[in-house]
Amino acid sequence: MSTELVKVTINAKDFQVPKGARLIDVCRENQFDIPSFCYYADLALQASCRMCLVRIEKMPKLQTSCTIICTDGMVVTTQSEEIEKARRSMLEFLLANHPLDCPVCDRGGECELQELTFDWGNLEERFIEQKNARAEKYLSPMVANDPQRCILCKRCTRVCDEWMGEDAIEAGNRGANTVIGTYGGWLNCSQCGNCIEVCPTGTLLDGTYRHQARPWELTQTISTCTYCSDGCQMSLGSRGDELMRIVARDRYVNGLNGEFLCIKGRFGHPFVNHEERIRTPLIRYQKGGRLVPATWDEAIRFTAQKLDGIVAARGNNSLAVVGSPRLTNEALYCLRKFAAEVVETENYAVADAFSLKPFFESLGGPLATHQDIRHAKTIVLIGGEPEELQPLTAKQIRQAVRNGGAKLILINSVPIRLREQAAQFIHIRPGTENAAALALAGNADDALAARKMGVEAAELEILRQTISETQGDVVLMFGGELSAEAQAVVAQMPYTFAGEGRRILLHPLALFNNSVGALDLDVNGKSVSDLLDAAGVSIHAMYMAGSLLPEHMPKCGLSKLDFLVVQELFETETTAFADVVFPAASFAEIDGTFTNNDGFVQRVRKSIEPVHQSKPDWLIVSELAKELGVDFGFERSASAVFREIAERIPAYADLRYPLLKDESHPLQVKHAIASKRELAKEIAGIRRAVAELSDDGVKVSETPQVGHELFKLGTLTDKVPQFHLLAAGNPTPASFAISPLYQITIDEGIKREKAVA
Amino acid sequence: MSIITEVIESTRAIIQGMSVTLSYIPKRKQTVQYPEEPVTVQPRYRGQHLLHVDELGREKCVACFLCAAACPSECIYIEAADDPRAPEERTGVDERYAKIYNIDYGRCIFCGYCVEACPKDAITHGYNFELSVYNRADLLKRKDDLLITKQVQSKNYRVAFSDEDVDSEWKEV
Repeated sequence: MSTELVKVTINAKDFQVPKGARLIDVCRENQFDIPSFCYYADLALQASCRMCLVRIEKMPKLQTSCTIICTDGMVVTTQSEEIEKARRSMLEFLLANHPLDCPVCDRGGECELQELTFDWGNLEERFIEQKNARAEKYLSPMVANDPQRCILCKRCTRVCDEWMGEDAIEAGNRGANTVIGTYGGWLNCSQCGNCIEVCPTGTLLDGTYRHQARPWELTQTISTCTYCSDGCQMSLGSRGDELMRIVARDRYVNGLNGEFLCIKGRFGHPFVNHEERIRTPLIRYQKGGRLVPATWDEAIRFTAQKLDGIVAARGNNSLAVVGSPRLTNEALYCLRKFAAEVVETENYAVADAFSLKPFFESLGGPLATHQDIRHAKTIVLIGGEPEELQPLTAKQIRQAVRNGGAKLILINSVPIRLREQAAQFIHIRPGTENAAALALAGNADDALAARKMGVEAAELEILRQTISETQGDVVLMFGGELSAEAQAVVAQMPYTFAGEGRRILLHPLALFNNSVGALDLDVNGKSVSDLLDAAGVSIHAMYMAGSLLPEHMPKCGLSKLDFLVVQELFETETTAFADVVFPAASFAEIDGTFTNNDGFVQRVRKSIEPVHQSKPDWLIVSELAKELGVDFGFERSASAVFREIAERIPAYADLRYPLLKDESHPLQVKHAIASKRELAKEIAGIRRAVAELSDDGVKVSETPQVGHELFKLGTLTDKVPQFHLLAAGNPTPASFAISPLYQITIDEGIKREKAVA
Repeated sequence: MSIITEVIESTRAIIQGMSVTLSYIPKRKQTVQYPEEPVTVQPRYRGQHLLHVDELGREKCVACFLCAAACPSECIYIEAADDPRAPEERTGVDERYAKIYNIDYGRCIFCGYCVEACPKDAITHGYNFELSVYNRADLLKRKDDLLITKQVQSKNYRVAFSDEDVDSEWKEV
């Protein structure tokens, strides 16, 4: 949008608005109420609901303000008898076929149609004809559908196409018979549920929260998602001590993700109130024995005694402290403090899938925010698969390409779904991602890189040329495939490609909600696999918050430890080795902060009281420290811990909870920007590693299935019954009329039973 | 004032007062020999709530929470649930029904807003008024205490006919 201003007169008042602004936005910004259903910011225009009609002088008929771009000297009337009559008639037509079932509709109370009917509806309905009855049904385990309630605004189809790039939900038939549906009646998409979120009526509904509660009964708490590193802002709806649902509806929350959430964020919450949550502290008094419930006092005392004994006998470094990238900054800080100041061990690590430490050490430019990605001109994605692992990033890329005209350059060994948006797809051999970093650094090694990656050298030339010719933002993204040296090289790219009118932004595709925060708070940066290898050799006791990742489990050496303490939500493979298990509180039960892959520090807020006897992770560590003779001196609030983080960690300096209050204006961590440096050593290292790769690896030519990562069952998603259906391939049930959960038994393999109705 | 005048004055006052009292003795009695005799209540009397069922015996309540929202004393607690069975086998008339429906009579003020709010005519005020209990917790009535099919109606009331004049004394005014 240009900075040039034009004059628009709305209701006899003059406004200076930027040229190219949309009339409906201008009116709303200036507090002229314009009702609409189909208009949705940043989606393709529809102009089908015709509620936003306004009178524009010199135009013959009433105009839809959502399709009008402001021009100089435009004179607009938004309120008049004529307009009111038109809007009232429009709403009457919309309601002609809408059933009067608000009492059973899950949207009742937060329904846009209901709200506009209060404003523009007539008291009596003049249509006495039979309504066009259509039965309620399910479109997938997650999405329930009542076609009769639909007003055909097509927000869902546009969101599915433009945000998700899936086109899974579409309008069928014509005219008055148009219905929103899907191919074959069953949705085989990524089940993000964004169609549910944007639906202004009760047509598409959350199948997991069906008929559970009503929106005004729920307490809405703004919090941050606990799954991937995008850090979506969402609203937790709780009733009493139960977390009922999660939405990102803009009436409750307005974060960096807008109304976007993915399947995990939206539906992956039932673990919070799950019956398998650990209820009390558990102690295994004898190796090989059972975990026995104990009181907090006893468990803390027992742990302190044992740790004291081991440290006295074997020295401080025989104890290791392991954190998890799923924990809050507060918990990770307390763990680090516990390691450094209480047991004074050097062995502290975070159990992340890959470390971004080399990247942040050489960081040569600012991190790209999701807003930057949306407005970027060129996006380079090396490895990774954001549509499965960081869905918001994938959505921003798609919109940047589709709505912003950005160029996407994809360097991947797999033709991932984003390939459809890619301007250039460099299809490389598996395991040769590091060669891409080599190619970015300069053309000296093009022959080697191209040979190993199995591409033409000219493709790499085009890649560098596209970046260096871009006017605007370039975002460099990379996944976990890059080696430490390659990360350092990519981190220095802002210097390599520096140029007039061009900004090079970096966006690491970290895997977990607080991977970046865990790294910010970690000083030693030891790798967790090194600590696990040393188990039983130099390390004899371990204190773990959260479990190990499945890839660490096979040869974890936990059985060789004399003493293992774990803080967990559920009994996992890791707690099977534990001598003491503390019940930890989940993200919905605590206050804290997560740092996402934009470097935004975002608040996690307490929605319900900790279930059973669980306690926040940081509090457990503080209590244990107190028993061991070191009082952290925190008041019983997470903000006190964060105050100390702000004092001790330079990147977090001056941050306070009150400053983080507004989720619509998140604050970025001030990561130290490294100065430009010679990369010869790193490049030589990559060259050596790349040269050792084989020349004849077979390229993967199949696009991976939707949900191959999203639907995987982890400790948390395992607690959502619907996820089991999806993980089993989302079988089509015999009847769409009732939830597939009641029809299909998953436990005994997929068994299609006779439908109940 | 002499003592004689005082005696005369007070005697007159007693006679005056007693004449009113005695004049009522031959008239119709307003008191009822409760509980031997049933109390007559108005057709629109607001007693303990009734949850209604349709002709197939299915609960009319669809757990829309409007009664709970309208309740000024917040005495209604509902938990909704999904009933996937065929329409004729369902607990309620709709797929959505109230799994739990509690009214706390320790809080209820019998204002009738819940009845007014109900879009399905599922809740009305009944006539049971003997709600006193020995234990305060018993004031919480569950769905089984409220359903019209299960609520035990007291023998101690009689509903007035619609044309019956139960309290003309007040109407005269």
